[in-house]
Amino acid sequence: MILDIIISHIPYLLGGLWVAIQLLVCLLAIGFVFGLLLALAEIYGHWTLRWFGIMFERIFRGIPELVLILMCFYGVGNWYAIDPFPAAVLALGLRSTAYQSQIFRGLIQAVPRGQIAAARAIGMSGAQALRHVTLPQALRQLPGPWSNEFSSELKATSLAYVIGVVELTRQGRYIISSTQGNILIVFGVVALMYFVVNWLGNRALYRAEKALEIPGLERRESE
Amino acid sequence: MLLDVKDIHKAYGKAEILKGVSLTLERGETKVIMGPSGTGKSTLLRCINRLSPPTAGEVRLDGTRVEDRNINEMRQKIAFVFQDFNLFLHLSALDNVAIGPKRLKGLRGADARDLAMEELRRVGMEAHAASYPAQLSGGQQQRVSIARALAMKPEVILFDEPTSALDPELTGEVVAVMQQLASDGITMLVVSHEIGFARRAADAIVFMEGGHIIEQGPPDQIVNAPQHDRTREFLNLIAAEGQVS
Repeated sequence: MILDIIISHIPYLLGGLWVAIQLLVCLLAIGFVFGLLLALAEIYGHWTLRWFGIMFERIFRGIPELVLILMCFYGVGNWYAIDPFPAAVLALGLRSTAYQSQIFRGLIQAVPRGQIAAARAIGMSGAQALRHVTLPQALRQLPGPWSNEFSSELKATSLAYVIGVVELTRQGRYIISSTQGNILIVFGVVALMYFVVNWLGNRALYRAEKALEIPGLERRESE
Repeated sequence: MLLDVKDIHKAYGKAEILKGVSLTLERGETKVIMGPSGTGKSTLLRCINRLSPPTAGEVRLDGTRVEDRNINEMRQKIAFVFQDFNLFLHLSALDNVAIGPKRLKGLRGADARDLAMEELRRVGMEAHAASYPAQLSGGQQQRVSIARALAMKPEVILFDEPTSALDPELTGEVVAVMQQLASDGITMLVVSHEIGFARRAADAIVFMEGGHIIEQGPPDQIVNAPQHDRTREFLNLIAAEGQVS
């Protein structure tokens, strides 16, 4: 019975899901930190930094993530014996850095000029204005655009399958090969697990968006 | 002499907006700058605190030259009130006023909030301390922004058309606050066409046109007996508008 097979293999699927989530958290964290730095470099940096930022972002947004994963594992593997998991984190983290840098750049540049002028006019330095005015306002708007990145990267973790990371998709594949289970049903369960995490994550981000709203500037109810 | 503005020029590319403007302000004095739009009044204020640095000329505050090297320190002493308020949108009225003393003067949080509350009281906004800018009317926002300027304990406050973004019924509350400040002895340089404010509160009216100061003097003299035709024409125009609205 396929149902028995699924139920008895649930712990493996959950184990795979846990690996996928770890992968997701690592790559999003890398993308967050370096994406923000890259955006700041692009907006405020010397032209060399700006040039570096633009090149980085063009390159890593312009390459298929599967090719990046293969390059980071087999390509880097030629010099340095890298494990599949860190290779996948590296590849997807670079890509996420490029994407998140553009989210941050857009949000920072959307802060009205008058806000910065007012900060400078009371005597704040450029760095103080960034820290106390620009970033607090820009980051409040983050959950909306960031939910896109979250969804797309969660699904991208399944690509780590190809270099042997035992994440959710690969666990599904193992169950199918070892039990001759129904492909559609097993992958259906796998799909459902991705879907639920995605849904929960987006719900949390939506809540965060609400909590961060500035009184008086709430978005209209969209529910 | 508290503020000494000497021969300020400002050009954007080939267009010269300010063609050598000089004026002085004694401690406790209020001067109102008037003139047709596009004359460089706002540019002059922005040159004084270097929000847009002058092409030539110098500004001295209490003898100290205002320059890039000391600008953040000088701006704490030369407050600026914007036409469109520019309150920090993510902060409550109280925090808008407290942020300067807290982040720039190193006051403890509670002390900064006490000071902020005191300044909000001075502009009649203490009841709205917890409100955010988007929850306030234009006149209320402008009063909070004046409190934000006062909280830095500046030597002089520059007002850049503080009422021109407001509906006529809201200008009154802002003008009343400014009049109170003038009588409290706050040194103010105000770009404004509020002739009533100028007559009641200003020590001098400065009339500008085409990047120059055309004439300046006590309000009564400028209003009743201007030396230049352009000044008279302009004041007649303003008076006519005032009767319409």
